[in-house]
Amino acid sequence: MNATQSTDTSPSLCVLVVEDEMLVAMMLEGMLRDLGYRVIKAARVAKAIGLATSEAIDAAILDVNLAGETSYQVADVLRLRGIPFVFASGYDPGSLRADFRNVAVLRKPYMPHDVRQVVADALRPCG
Amino acid sequence: MSDASDPRQQGETNGQMAKAEPPDAPVPRALDLAQPTPIVGIGASAGGLDAFKAFFATMPSQSGIGFVLVQHLDPSHKSILTELVGRQTQMPVMEAEDGMPVAADRVHIIPPDSTLTIVKGILHVDRPAPPRQRRFPIDTFFQSLAEDQEANAAAIVLSGIGSDGTLGIRTIKEHGGLTLAQSEHDQLAMTGMPQSAAATGLIDSVMRVEDMPARLLEYQRHLIAAASHGDSYETRQVTAQQIAAIASLLRSGLGHDFANYNENTLARRILRRMQLLRIDNVQHYIRQLRNEPLERNLLFQELLINVTEFFRDPAAFEVLETEMLPTLLAGKTDADQIRVWVPGCATGEEVYSIAILLKEEMDRHAISPRVQIFGTDIDESAVAVARAGRYIEPKGALSAERLARWFEAEVDGYRVVRQIREMCVFSTHSVVRDPPFSKLDLVSCRNLLIYLNPDLQERVIRMFHYALHPGGILFLGPSEGVTRGAHLFEPLDAKHRLFRRRDTAIATHFPDFRSPEGLPPATSPQPAVRLTDRIEKVAHAALEKHSPAYVVVNRQHDVIRFSGGEIGRYLEPSAGPATLGLFAILRRSLRQTVRAALEQVAANRQAVLRHRVRIKIGGATRAINVIVEPITVEGSDPNLNVVAFQDLGTVAESVRVRNAAEPRDAIARELEEELSRTKEQLQTALDTAQSAIDETRSNTEEYQTVNEELQSSNEELETAKEEMQSINEELQTVNSELSSKNDQLMRLNSDMQNLLESTQIATIFLDNQLRIKRFTPAIASIFNLREGDVDRPIADIASRLNYHDLQTDVQTVLQELSVIEREVWIADTGTTFIMRIRPYHTVGGVADGVVITFVDITALRRTEEALKEHPAIVEFAQDALVSISRDGTVRSWNPGAERLFGYPAQYAVRRQIGFLIASDATRQPAALLAAALRGDVTGSVEILHKRPNGVEVPVEMTAMPIRDANAAIVAIAMTARDISERKRAEAHSTLLLNELSHRVKNVLASVQSLAMETLRVAPTLEAFKEVFMARLRALSRTHDLLVDREWRDAGLRDVLEAELAPYQSPGKTNWTATGENLRLTPKMALAIGMAFHELATNAVKFGALSVPSGHIVIAWSEQQGDDGHRLHLTWVERGGPTVTEPAQKGFGSRMIAEGLAYELDGDVQVDYHPEGVRCIINVPIPAAGEPA
Repeated sequence: MNATQSTDTSPSLCVLVVEDEMLVAMMLEGMLRDLGYRVIKAARVAKAIGLATSEAIDAAILDVNLAGETSYQVADVLRLRGIPFVFASGYDPGSLRADFRNVAVLRKPYMPHDVRQVVADALRPCG
Repeated sequence: MSDASDPRQQGETNGQMAKAEPPDAPVPRALDLAQPTPIVGIGASAGGLDAFKAFFATMPSQSGIGFVLVQHLDPSHKSILTELVGRQTQMPVMEAEDGMPVAADRVHIIPPDSTLTIVKGILHVDRPAPPRQRRFPIDTFFQSLAEDQEANAAAIVLSGIGSDGTLGIRTIKEHGGLTLAQSEHDQLAMTGMPQSAAATGLIDSVMRVEDMPARLLEYQRHLIAAASHGDSYETRQVTAQQIAAIASLLRSGLGHDFANYNENTLARRILRRMQLLRIDNVQHYIRQLRNEPLERNLLFQELLINVTEFFRDPAAFEVLETEMLPTLLAGKTDADQIRVWVPGCATGEEVYSIAILLKEEMDRHAISPRVQIFGTDIDESAVAVARAGRYIEPKGALSAERLARWFEAEVDGYRVVRQIREMCVFSTHSVVRDPPFSKLDLVSCRNLLIYLNPDLQERVIRMFHYALHPGGILFLGPSEGVTRGAHLFEPLDAKHRLFRRRDTAIATHFPDFRSPEGLPPATSPQPAVRLTDRIEKVAHAALEKHSPAYVVVNRQHDVIRFSGGEIGRYLEPSAGPATLGLFAILRRSLRQTVRAALEQVAANRQAVLRHRVRIKIGGATRAINVIVEPITVEGSDPNLNVVAFQDLGTVAESVRVRNAAEPRDAIARELEEELSRTKEQLQTALDTAQSAIDETRSNTEEYQTVNEELQSSNEELETAKEEMQSINEELQTVNSELSSKNDQLMRLNSDMQNLLESTQIATIFLDNQLRIKRFTPAIASIFNLREGDVDRPIADIASRLNYHDLQTDVQTVLQELSVIEREVWIADTGTTFIMRIRPYHTVGGVADGVVITFVDITALRRTEEALKEHPAIVEFAQDALVSISRDGTVRSWNPGAERLFGYPAQYAVRRQIGFLIASDATRQPAALLAAALRGDVTGSVEILHKRPNGVEVPVEMTAMPIRDANAAIVAIAMTARDISERKRAEAHSTLLLNELSHRVKNVLASVQSLAMETLRVAPTLEAFKEVFMARLRALSRTHDLLVDREWRDAGLRDVLEAELAPYQSPGKTNWTATGENLRLTPKMALAIGMAFHELATNAVKFGALSVPSGHIVIAWSEQQGDDGHRLHLTWVERGGPTVTEPAQKGFGSRMIAEGLAYELDGDVQVDYHPEGVRCIINVPIPAAGEPA
């Protein structure tokens, strides 16, 4: 469970993590790598939009609140590109923007199996 | 008369119409002169108040009848009769004022000291009233009422003493009005007035007062019925045709012909009888006349009513004046007497007419014989009127000249002048029953005989014959005559019924009453006794012995002088009281002779001589001459006589003896002498008898005079009595008023007492000296007062008030007559009073002390304060406060409502509330108000209100019912409040909660991350625990700093010191920090804090802090870069063990190198220099306002 292990699964699927809390981001990255995913991450909306637009991403986990900004713009880009994503949030899911009410939410604090489940669901072709 | 015009039917119809008249006009109606509206005059005196009460207790208040009350009132007292009567009836009762019209359904009362009359329905008040003895207000009013209202007038005589009203009744009756009198046994009535009125026979009904209203209403119906046809051509026509029939009925039944009477008068009187009998059809009445003799009599009397007047039949009086009286007065001197008798004089007009004629005639002849005119009547009240000589309006052919000359104008009429009145003597006398007057020159008996049947008429005519002088004149009424006494009287003027007494044989049975002529002057010489010289005196003395003895007697035969000498010889006093009466002291044997002689002298004043009268003196028979000689002494009784006795010496007894022997002719001569003496004596006896008769007549005459004098004084007494009665009545009236007033006062007093006690208002009355006069029980709570404290000065009484200026204030009130009002209180209890000091005004308006009242206003004061708050609350309330009436109208609209709803009160008030709530689609406000109107309180509703300017504002509304004292809902109170602020706060709060949740969840996630990362490398659980707890504390410390600054920021130095503090050796500083205490955002503070912690733990384990010589230098600064400010910080360790770069980077170094850079979007380098670890952090500092 370290950096070398994660590089071993290079052909694996890439997950975009957008999270401004460094500790949370480091933990989520660790969990995803443990699950065999490749991880790219962003703490700011601007950077996240850039990654979401240009990188080959299979799925994304978006913290809703990014240092006072929402990550809806990132989600909009992902939706346009047809990349599945889930929200990670401490908020009540009801407070999401209306057109994201059907998007799955990873409730903080989450455990590794929550992450596995939600990512797996998101990646399912029919999802 | 056709059926269609049957007055009975018509009368009933009209009666019903009158009844059916809607009684919806409580206001007194003005009198409709076209409509017969009766005006009822009610006269009363003593006892009248009770009668008035009884009357108005049964009189309906909406009858359409007007009432005028005339009561004898004391002129000096203000009457409260108006008030007293006002309590008995619903009708308005008012004191009459000059010019006030008499209104139907209103009671008008005569004011005191006034004369009340009525002209054309308008009352006239004249002040002052005439003096008491001439005050007859009821008569005066009735008379004017009769003349003004004719048949519409009704007069009622109620309780009272005296006879006021009687004359008035006569006038009312004469004009066809209704007359009623109170019955004798009614109530406590004083019967004088009603009886006097009833005695005239002119009262239609004598009845109980309670029954009078019904009678009046019935009369009113008759009037209405009569008005509908009464004056129509038809009625007059019909009556006129039938008058002849009625007149003939009366002629055949009573022997009196009314054919010459005024037709209108007859018609009116006949209709009046019909009305009284309630007969509407003339034919019916004629039938009744035919069948009932009584009704014939009544009609007859009705027709004769009030026929007396001044100079009635002026033509007859003119004949009397121009032909009879001059004859009567011819040859009369001042010493003569003229006597006239007027039997049946009624109210005296005829008596005064004759008196005036006589007086005028006497003046023309310039003589003034004593005139006595006796006016008599059986009607005492009429006689009283006649005696007073007062006439409201003298009727008859009275010329203005005579009126001016023989009458005195008075306030309410005329009075015959004293000069004339003194010629007349009035008395009650029945021409049939009582003995007649006598020696009369004129008897005027007009319209009396017609009342009498023929036998009685004859008796009366004979009596007149007796009463008159020879040649005396009899004056009869136009339809009267002396048919059955033609032998007693001869006509002087047949047309005018003037007759002269015949001197018939019968007349000799009635001797001449005239007193004998005066005595002729004495013819004998005066018995002069003038002795001029001494010789004569002596000679006279000598002769005296030879002179006859004598006495001088006066007319009454009393001896006034005795002669000397032998007079004693002839005297012989009788037993009994001593007297100088001649016939009591004269010898008996002489008395007869002397009496005869004296009477003879008295008769002819010639001396008388009786020769040789034989008397026995001292046993011897003597012959004497008796001489009676009349004498006259100047300045003395003209009828003195001298009675002298001349002694002729003894006469031998043998005379008689000798008589036998005397020759026959001597005896015959003596017998003749004897016979002639006897004749003389007989004549004397006859004379004496005649004299006695004369004396008796003289006495009778004297008695007549005395009687007349007595009558005159009786008259005066009568007047005085009337005055007394009048005063008495007034006093009784005053007394009953006073007693009524007293009752009222007692009632008032008890009312006041109860009022004072029930109000619980403490009241105290002080006099001018501040002494207590009276107080109410409630005062006990303020002053320590007891019953016995009355009259004590108020200053002596302890008061519980916080008030000590009472005496000053009372003085001020008394001086300025103002009212002082103060708020005072009792300190112990906090009871507050309004104290008012006001002057005590007596009835006269004089201030006499003060009245102090204490009104407990404790509760009031509290309420007042509470009440004052309400408008302020409403005015300044932020919320809209609106009241709405039950029908939905806005009643009030406070400034809060103006602000909230955007409509000014001016616009909203009186508008339907719909303007505000109708546009609300939810219908919630309407439902809310509807619920409140039902009494339900349903909580609040929230709506979005759109102001007139288009701004929308969220509003919360509530409504609740407003109830009155009976819990009935009278209105709705609506409150509304702007809740936009609250809405915002709610939104904010939601935001905060989400934020909190977000942060907590993030912190938990961070802690989870710390735990997992620490767990990932920890060899043992013990090691995990140590590292994890240290990291947790580090995180917690930075949190603490942030919380201190309310999560706004934290100082860089503070964060550093907090993280390094656990590793600080006591008393030694092994690190140095350089740089300002830069403010870090929470995110930076947390991240940098964690970095410091990881660097410090690494230094403690492996670096500069693991040895005592080690030292760390931390330096930072804020630098200006291309894209904003940046923080540049260096961490440099020295003096520690030699550093080698670890083969595998732990969580700590990863977090610093990757995590910090990642999170703060900056550059972080960790250099494992052999001298010590060096770390360079270069991160952007977010500009203010940027997300941290």
